[in-house]
Amino acid sequence: MPKRPTQPPTPDLGALGERVSAARAATEARGETFYQGAAKTFLAGFPPPERWDDWVELDSRAWPERVERHAMLVPTTCFNCESACGLLAYVDRSTLQVRKFEGNPAHPGSRGRNCAKGPATINQVTDPDRILYPLRRAGQRGEGKWERVSWDEALDALAARLRAAIVEGRQNEIMIHIGRPGEDGFTERVLASWGVDGHNSHTNVCSSGGRTGFQFWTGIDRPSPDHANAKVIYLISSHLETGHYFNPHAQRITEARAKGAKVIVLDTRLSNTATHADYWLSPQPGSEAAINLAVARHIITTGRVNWAFVHDWWNWREYMEARRHDGPQTFEAFQAALAEEYDGYSFELAAAESGIDAAVLAEVAEVVAGAGTALSCHSWRSAAASNLGGWQVSRTAFFLAALLGAVATPGGTFPNAYNKYVPRPIHTPPHPKVWQELSWPLEFPLAQNELSFLLPHFLKDGRGRLDTYFTRVYNPVWTNPDGLSWMEVLTDPDKVGCYVALTPTWNESAYFADWVLPMGHASERHDTHSYEQYDGQWVGFRQPVLRAARERLGETVADTRSVNPGEVWEENELYTELSWRIDPDGSLGIRQYHESRERPGEKLTVYEYHGWIFAHSVSGLPEAAAAEGVTPLQYMRRYGAFEITKYQGALYAGEVPPAELEDVRVTPTGRVYTAAAKPESDNLVPLGAPPPDDEGRRPVGVLVDGTVRRGFPTPSGRLEFYSSTIAAWGWPEHALPGYIRSHVHPSELAPDQMVLLSTFRLPTQIHTRSANSKWLDELSHTNPVWIHPKDAARVGVARTGDLIRVSTDIGYFVAKAWITEGIRPGVVACSHHMGRWKLTGHDQVSPGGMMATVELGRGAVGWSMRVRERVAPYSSADADTRRIWWSDTGVHQNLTMPVHPDPISGMHCWHQAVRVTPARPGDSHGDIAVDTGKAREVYRQWMARTRPAGTHSPDSTRRPVWLMRPLKPAAEVFSLPVATGTRR
Amino acid sequence: MTATHALVPAAGEVGVVAPPGGDPGRWELIRALGALCSVAPPGGWVISDALGLRRWSRAEHTSVFVLDLPPHASIHLGPEGKLGGEGADRVAGMWRALGLEPPADADHLAALLALYAELGQAGDACQRSDARRRLDHARHALLAEHLMSWLPGYLAAAGAQRAASGWAALTAAAIRREVDRMGLPDELPAALREAPAPLRAGDGLSELLDALPAPLRTGFVLTQADLVGAGRQIGVGVRRGERSFALRAMLGQDPAATLAWLGAHARHWVSLHRHSTFAGPAQDWWADRAASTSAVLDSLARSVA
Repeated sequence: MPKRPTQPPTPDLGALGERVSAARAATEARGETFYQGAAKTFLAGFPPPERWDDWVELDSRAWPERVERHAMLVPTTCFNCESACGLLAYVDRSTLQVRKFEGNPAHPGSRGRNCAKGPATINQVTDPDRILYPLRRAGQRGEGKWERVSWDEALDALAARLRAAIVEGRQNEIMIHIGRPGEDGFTERVLASWGVDGHNSHTNVCSSGGRTGFQFWTGIDRPSPDHANAKVIYLISSHLETGHYFNPHAQRITEARAKGAKVIVLDTRLSNTATHADYWLSPQPGSEAAINLAVARHIITTGRVNWAFVHDWWNWREYMEARRHDGPQTFEAFQAALAEEYDGYSFELAAAESGIDAAVLAEVAEVVAGAGTALSCHSWRSAAASNLGGWQVSRTAFFLAALLGAVATPGGTFPNAYNKYVPRPIHTPPHPKVWQELSWPLEFPLAQNELSFLLPHFLKDGRGRLDTYFTRVYNPVWTNPDGLSWMEVLTDPDKVGCYVALTPTWNESAYFADWVLPMGHASERHDTHSYEQYDGQWVGFRQPVLRAARERLGETVADTRSVNPGEVWEENELYTELSWRIDPDGSLGIRQYHESRERPGEKLTVYEYHGWIFAHSVSGLPEAAAAEGVTPLQYMRRYGAFEITKYQGALYAGEVPPAELEDVRVTPTGRVYTAAAKPESDNLVPLGAPPPDDEGRRPVGVLVDGTVRRGFPTPSGRLEFYSSTIAAWGWPEHALPGYIRSHVHPSELAPDQMVLLSTFRLPTQIHTRSANSKWLDELSHTNPVWIHPKDAARVGVARTGDLIRVSTDIGYFVAKAWITEGIRPGVVACSHHMGRWKLTGHDQVSPGGMMATVELGRGAVGWSMRVRERVAPYSSADADTRRIWWSDTGVHQNLTMPVHPDPISGMHCWHQAVRVTPARPGDSHGDIAVDTGKAREVYRQWMARTRPAGTHSPDSTRRPVWLMRPLKPAAEVFSLPVATGTRR
Repeated sequence: MTATHALVPAAGEVGVVAPPGGDPGRWELIRALGALCSVAPPGGWVISDALGLRRWSRAEHTSVFVLDLPPHASIHLGPEGKLGGEGADRVAGMWRALGLEPPADADHLAALLALYAELGQAGDACQRSDARRRLDHARHALLAEHLMSWLPGYLAAAGAQRAASGWAALTAAAIRREVDRMGLPDELPAALREAPAPLRAGDGLSELLDALPAPLRTGFVLTQADLVGAGRQIGVGVRRGERSFALRAMLGQDPAATLAWLGAHARHWVSLHRHSTFAGPAQDWWADRAASTSAVLDSLARSVA
């Protein structure tokens, strides 16, 4: 045994420890960080905020030289999906240019993490094809000829048109169509200040179906699942977790899984999320609600219903009164009735509808039933956005949470308004006194959002015309179904007098605009926003980072254009300027809403606008700012986000304070009305607005065990298992959570038809701006059609990569096949967000552009689009454009899809019944043919399914006043036009 | 470190301030030594200043703690000598057993020492003896199972790097004090008890190349810097790449010299383990493992000479 050595002299560890303790205390007393986390050497590490003014990194391009680069780190928020994750812009101190974007650790939603789309913001900023200056059409619409103009010329021309329309009472000829959301409620308030009901959104091709199901339950149209604390996570489709709130949700699902949570994914396609699931169910498209109901039945029949919750918080009394009025009106009778209502939804029935084995469904149901109050569920696009009656998919998903009492519980599902904060702005203009029939037609009184995708058909019907039509970071020709009908109306000046594209990049719609006005990306604009991503509330701040950086250096910047590339602008300043030009002397009553409070008679600046919001409307922010010795605006400029609350919990159960209970009236079902005025809230988050009682008292809560509690913003004040609204407005058969057979149900398909699933995308894709993000384009640039090997063999497709024709009701597209078992037999799938194109002859508008160049022609049988040139390397200011190694851009399948408006939610039902065949000689990848005449026929067929307000309104209104609606008009214009009459 | 807040005992178990006998400096020292190897300069300079250690440059820090000697238990206790896997799972299990969510780098020395410090601090704050015993027991298990199972060897390797020698000596002193106070069990840590078999003379080249970078298989730490030194010493080129790739190239150029150098390296580590100031069965196990490897490598060297 070797002799062990004498121990070396030991330092005085006690003294050393005390010295470290003292150093830590001194450092932290200065507000600095002693332990800067397991940082820097790990991806999870972040620069500490005290070093954001001068962050030093070695320049990787200078290697092996060791060149230090100094940067200011300026927060902003991502603009590439709705999540609004936090970004940190690294602004080079020597050049004052943005070098890169990374995550902002101070952002409560994203917590410093980003998906690929966040860092790719730098591609958009430096995109050699981006639009830098205002352009005016020089030739015919769509000819591709443009002239650079000044902002003054553009604003004066547009203000003159808008003023004329407003003065002449043609408010309904003005419309702003929103793509990527900016600031919560901002555009609505601009339009309200103009007295125009002209807000249009993309929501009815996106999430209306999902929202509808939640709204009829809770009075709030989005769920907020507390994934991180869930025991079971139940996802109807994976869209939200891979494409929408991908990053904030995915990271919390991952946390839950690490703690043992089970993940159940219903998705016909093997999505990224499904690959991580404990249970992946691949149902026949459209059968999801039947599965949900079978799970519900299991919860009921196995005694796992949280009856105490149901008793207190469901509107079971309304149900009994409406549907079981002959029997005893007791809770026990309701319990029996509930079991009876859903007795038919056996696992066998669900198996027959979905094609999934009944034993598997039973196993999944048992897992859900065991979740108790820790079931987080979500359904957003996909099934809810794809099927006739898809809104019942989200309604039946929430049914499960409602049965278990997993509503606003740790690990449960919250109404989004609990976890979202829309701060009150400096000016709040009144509701417009007009009703836009082109967006809110009588046929769809219960529609969740604007019938945006029907606009071309309504214009062709002669229901109205648009004098001035704005699109805001939106590409309707490319995004909507039936895009060539959009193109037809956008090129017809009788239907659209002036088309203004507010866009950072060229797109398939902007080619047909009269004005193309450059807007900023994530680092070039101001917006505030807040999204439900966990049980808490936060406000994020998007800001022009170069403006903020220059301010840190002591400069004053009065106009965002002065720091942005070229003359790129932001809407907040643009609309103030435009509104002043519409109403220069204030006589129209518009200017007052865009005027400074501090300096009456002067324009409202973004400093004052945001400074006022942060100082007056964000609870806790002024105190947090004061603690750091800065103003609230400076705090937000520095950190980019602020967490207002955490752990909201069951707000519905909160007691209504006595001050709000005045001259109270309680209905037999326990709805409580009060004569006390509603206390003003600084949080303007959208909610349902249940109507007052006959004597004008406002609904204030519900009576539960003798106590007035806040309840839900529904007519009953409780969770609406039974919707008296749906029943009263002509759809009594759908008043309960139920199953509506899809338009692509197997019984609706011809023997040679399959279902085309088109509602998914890859999490690295931006809706319409991926072509301007080189990294994202390199990651994914094609969208093959997923087809099961059995189907491939049946239709004669031999190999992956072979060309196929996919024929819809109005045309066809040619795509590559991807033979995979990741899709259910009988279903094919093709991702959207790809297939970007530009027209031949438009080379000057997007000289490089990672889009295919196509020839668009019109013949006897409609439109044809042929790909003439594919993507290839090209020279530009960016050396990487010479390194493009791919040529594929995918196929723009949406052009070949007719409109399918759901008669209740108004959602476009994306699934298509298609025929898949091998491509024919001469077919080329990306080719498309469309007959817009047939598109009109399909439009009319679906319109025939509606039950219009004119014949079904119970109260002579156009739509239930309590339902949520963007830019809600004044109550008086809800009345039906005189000629349409009312159902008696 | 927020996860360890769960360690704070429930109401009634803690005093308002640490009771007499608490030693906050002891825990702060441990925490600071761990943090230094995770925070790249200049972020860690405030810590090194407090410890009286010289400030590392970014390149020095990266060279030691990112490239040559990443301080992860899983690298030293996993059968493949790689991050994650069984070695990391075992550490994560310790966190979970304490009711804590393991952080992303739970087996990183900074996380382990931070946890050790948190346990000590929480124990100091306990007024109830049963709660304190529970925390002390957990800290003892952490020390014996997840630190002393690999840290002495790691610190020996780090001490050989000029930049890290001061830190390694101070860390060794601080840990030695903990061992002296806590004592160590006679039983081997689980990771060593369940270690895979040592190298055998009959193993093929692929097996050999897989095993050489894995301390648990060989009983020694083999860094890129070691290979560069070996190349210089025996006159072979060292190709850039993973260590097994570089070794394959070295063996291709001069197998006898390379194997002989490796055998000598193993013997050097036998000596390091045997003469470590950390006495105990774990050190004996490492020394035996290195001796076994040395014998195999010497035998292979003779066979190709």
